[in-house]
Amino acid sequence: MSEYLSKAAAFAQNAAKLSKKVSEGIVENAREFGLEATSSGHYFDTSEEKMRDIKRQLDSRHDREKMDGLKRLIAMISKGRDVSEFFPDVVKNVASQNLEIRKLVYIYLLRYAEQEPDLALLSINTFQRDLTDQNQLIRAMALRVMSGIRVPVISPIVLLAIKKCMTDLSPYVRKTAAHAIPKCYSLDPSQKDALVDIITTLLNDNSPFTIGSVITAFNEVCPDRLDLIHPHYRKFCRMLIDADEWGQIVIMGLLLRYARTQFLNPNPDNHRVAEKEKSKTVYSDEDSDESDNSLDKSYALDPDHEQLLRDSLPLLQSRNSAVVLSVAKIFYHLAPTADAYKLSKPLIRLLHSHREIQYVVLANIATMATQRPYLFEPHLQQFFVRSTDPAFIRNLKMEIMTLVATESNITGILRELQEYVKSPNKDFATSAIRAIGRCAIGMPEMAESCLNGLMKLLWSKNDAVVAESVVVIKRLLQLRPQDNADMIIQLAKALDHITVPMARASIFWLVGQYAQNLEKVAPDILRKAAKTFTTEADVVKLQIINLGAKLLSLHSTDHTLNLLFQYVLNLARYDLNYDIRDRARLLRGLVLISEKKETNIDNMGVEGMLSKELNESSILTNNLKQILLCEKEAPSEESPSVGRDRFTIGSMSLVLNYSVTGYKSLPDWPTEKPDGSVRENLDDTWNRNQYIKGFGSDSFGRYIPPSTYDNKPVTKQYNDSYDSEHFYDSYESSDDNRNHDEKTGKLNLLFIFFIYRKVPNKQPPENKKYLHLEIKY
Amino acid sequence: MIDSLFVLNATGKIIIEKHWRGLINRQVVDYFNDQFSKQSSPEDLLPIIPTPKYQLVHVYRSGLTFLSPVSNEVDALLVLEFLHRIVDILAEYFGELAELSIRDNFDIVYQLLEEMMDYGYPLTTEPNALKEMIVPPNIINKVISQVAGVTSVVQHVPNGSTISSIPWRKAGVKYTNNEIYFDVVEEIDAIVDRNGAIVSSEIHGLIQANCRLSGMPDLTLNFVNPRVLDDYSFHPCVRYNKFENERVLSFVPPDGHFKLMTYRVNLPHHQSLPLYVKPQIYIGNGGGKFDISINIRNTEGKPIENVLLVFPLAKSVSSVNATCSLGSYIFDPVTKSIRWNIGKIELKDRAPMLSGNFSSTEQTPESGHTITIDFLINMYAISGLKVDSLKIYNEAYKPYKGVRSMTKAGKFQIRT
Repeated sequence: MSEYLSKAAAFAQNAAKLSKKVSEGIVENAREFGLEATSSGHYFDTSEEKMRDIKRQLDSRHDREKMDGLKRLIAMISKGRDVSEFFPDVVKNVASQNLEIRKLVYIYLLRYAEQEPDLALLSINTFQRDLTDQNQLIRAMALRVMSGIRVPVISPIVLLAIKKCMTDLSPYVRKTAAHAIPKCYSLDPSQKDALVDIITTLLNDNSPFTIGSVITAFNEVCPDRLDLIHPHYRKFCRMLIDADEWGQIVIMGLLLRYARTQFLNPNPDNHRVAEKEKSKTVYSDEDSDESDNSLDKSYALDPDHEQLLRDSLPLLQSRNSAVVLSVAKIFYHLAPTADAYKLSKPLIRLLHSHREIQYVVLANIATMATQRPYLFEPHLQQFFVRSTDPAFIRNLKMEIMTLVATESNITGILRELQEYVKSPNKDFATSAIRAIGRCAIGMPEMAESCLNGLMKLLWSKNDAVVAESVVVIKRLLQLRPQDNADMIIQLAKALDHITVPMARASIFWLVGQYAQNLEKVAPDILRKAAKTFTTEADVVKLQIINLGAKLLSLHSTDHTLNLLFQYVLNLARYDLNYDIRDRARLLRGLVLISEKKETNIDNMGVEGMLSKELNESSILTNNLKQILLCEKEAPSEESPSVGRDRFTIGSMSLVLNYSVTGYKSLPDWPTEKPDGSVRENLDDTWNRNQYIKGFGSDSFGRYIPPSTYDNKPVTKQYNDSYDSEHFYDSYESSDDNRNHDEKTGKLNLLFIFFIYRKVPNKQPPENKKYLHLEIKY
Repeated sequence: MIDSLFVLNATGKIIIEKHWRGLINRQVVDYFNDQFSKQSSPEDLLPIIPTPKYQLVHVYRSGLTFLSPVSNEVDALLVLEFLHRIVDILAEYFGELAELSIRDNFDIVYQLLEEMMDYGYPLTTEPNALKEMIVPPNIINKVISQVAGVTSVVQHVPNGSTISSIPWRKAGVKYTNNEIYFDVVEEIDAIVDRNGAIVSSEIHGLIQANCRLSGMPDLTLNFVNPRVLDDYSFHPCVRYNKFENERVLSFVPPDGHFKLMTYRVNLPHHQSLPLYVKPQIYIGNGGGKFDISINIRNTEGKPIENVLLVFPLAKSVSSVNATCSLGSYIFDPVTKSIRWNIGKIELKDRAPMLSGNFSSTEQTPESGHTITIDFLINMYAISGLKVDSLKIYNEAYKPYKGVRSMTKAGKFQIRT
């Protein structure tokens, strides 16, 4: 038997050896073909020998070796190792003919240039040469990398390069130039004036591709020079739809700021409305029509204001959540309240997005709902919590539910919240209870049913649920001190099975505070409390002492009560906690000694000394009830989002509810209407078709081959003959300044437009065969 | 703006580090890892963590964390959306997103990050434009580069001719077989209470396209019934106003896979969900009994496939004993949940049942867990959205066109 075993063992060993050999062989073979399992794994090898090898590789004549060395260096950077010692060897390769090597060199360069400013200068010549390259990508890359080298000495060179590139025929290069402006500004802030000049010129750029980056530069260098925006405002509104997603966000941010300084508030506040009413009644006898008209006029939107709203509206359909929220921001902060409803549906759509995005969107919705709950009330169902929602989403959803509660939907909301209370997740259940409390406080007429619901929870098996509901009930009962006796009695009955200290303390407090309504029960509760006093937690002990004092202040002559309280005080006197000892001492002095004064002062000569003091304290004694049982204001339950509304929608500060570095609040609306004529572009040749239409989501035009607008000069017109918007616009506006040519052009357009409109109807019927193309593939 | 990006693996180790506005010390990552380890699950960590100096914005996908410290005020969504975009692009480049694929191609990752963002501002994020500048890795490229000793990109220096005109489409695309496919995928999100009443339900649709067309085709897609759409969003290539006015999708498509549009549909009240789950659970002394049945309601005669029901139980449950009329079940003792893998349910099948009992170490095990169910119905769109026709302009060829639809469960939850 053992023989077999040893044989088998030997066999297994051999097999293992063989398989190892085979697999090694395969790996080796694979390596020869450059297909090893972790093909880049060897780059992460950091042994000293390998490091010395890198230097050799970088000096090699073969591109492949160089690539290998560079990749190794970059892998080191990833590992967090300092490889700045190779800087001179790497910089040598910056002029390599091989684009990929150059790209890797750039990555290294951008990482370490700051530490080796002198050596980094060696690379500048190459970049300057590249700036004149035929290929737009190379030009752009050269400018991008050069401006990214954070060495202050080169700022004049960067400035020159920006100036050169800002007139480049390629919008991509111009875009890169715009990106380089803030970099140059951070290198050397003294260049600001020159940079503002460049920005002023670039603002004239008519490519929707570039404009977002120009405005980014504007925001970083001179965000307060809104006067530069005047002549371009209308252009920006129109270009909005053609700009790239990230550009749209920046443009809308700027236009929002601009609009807040240039237009009047479309939602005049109540104060002004009231004034309006007043003025109406005063002058109603004369001619009310006229005064009405003038008022209406003053609230009519400026056409430019309206244009911004109209042009940003389609972007609510963007796939980019940040764009959608930016539009929401514009509508929330700029639009008449009647129009703001347009933003709710798209925001709801974003709730289907990634968890992180949901979180930010919900925080923004919660903020908007504190001011305008009606925006989201129709979408209540979307805020119902799913069991898979993480805590931060869950809490925001419940908050929104309580914010949008109205008389008509409150029953549904409460039913839903009570569903959450059943959750096995304790945090979830307790925050649902708090939400029920907020509902009840917000709608006093619903408080009764909320309370009834909460009372049922007292018998829950879950300690946390019981504790939370007692705390919330206490808060609600405080709000209606008249008729809460029954509830308190019920709570007191539950005392036997409630173990959570905070809940017990709350009940004792309630009994003491409203003891007047509980003549019969209260002393008995104190009796039971006295029994368990020694085993209670500190918060509970304090409340038991308070309860005793309050009861005694109401029935100062009751002998049993007196003894009971003394008993409690004696227990407290030797308590471990000094707070409790102090409280006992204080209340003994306040309540008990005054008792003695009345009963014992005649026959207790010893205490004669004290009597003087006692007389003084009789002021306290007389006001004892007032001191102990004064009306306590109910704590207000604020929704956690309160305070968020001081921030602009969409901002990071709003999500975090504190002011992040660099946060600027929106400017206040002007009280007087600023002059709108500044937006008239002085350049006579301006018309809406002047900017190069991006391929454009809003142009009706068919695709025009790239050759027509590749490398086209900035001012060249794109003859967009199918543009129906243009057609409508020119048709409706009775602009007398248009010359004859334009009018005939208009007629042509009209003609073409009609033909175009007809075309879809004339489609040959054979297209119909594509119908029902449900094909499996 | 975004200052830096760290890509962390599941254990919190840095695998990629990129700074756009000056170096940020790696210590922020240590702080982040502290917070990370405090959570019971990575999904529970607040997406934006405030620290005295930076706001740590991060997204967690496929086991990797993309962490961006942000020092100045910026639109929160811009950062998050950009981080997700990076993840999407990486996934598109490497096929699947995993620590290994990122480590293997770290040089490409750095090049991409360099192109996608400049000084903390997004630059080029369209996959088509990026692919023209940085060639995605593939096995053939690798072989050639290793064997010939040259690298893949050098031969062809892109001139970026498309960047200025249509950022989302490459120039000079050529296919021998021109074809375009559309997948209409609808997900049902629903909450159903224990009596079978729908608490909330909605449908999220997505039209995913795979475009393999030469040249610069200009397409028009018509729907039979565009009115069912309640709310929608488009890929930037779609002309917004044209859809507003005529309810047709008119666009020049990007090359390859892309999301043409997403939409939301509110399920009309009279329409029922494809299936109903009826749970009956009795909690008894030290255990309980359960009875779960599934009824098919409304699928236009299509079978429901890949049905998987997950029924979580209390943490105190020690063992489960059950029988099911279809498929098979397992009790996962770690997550304390029953996974009932039903597979395919044909219309003619009797309603599948799972019944049994469980025992618990606790006297009264907690209840109120939510059942989730996953399923898929092929060739069926629950919203009823139908593609009518696809017309192609600007190119002479006649492409092969295909549309198929699919309905699946999104977050489909049943309360017990």
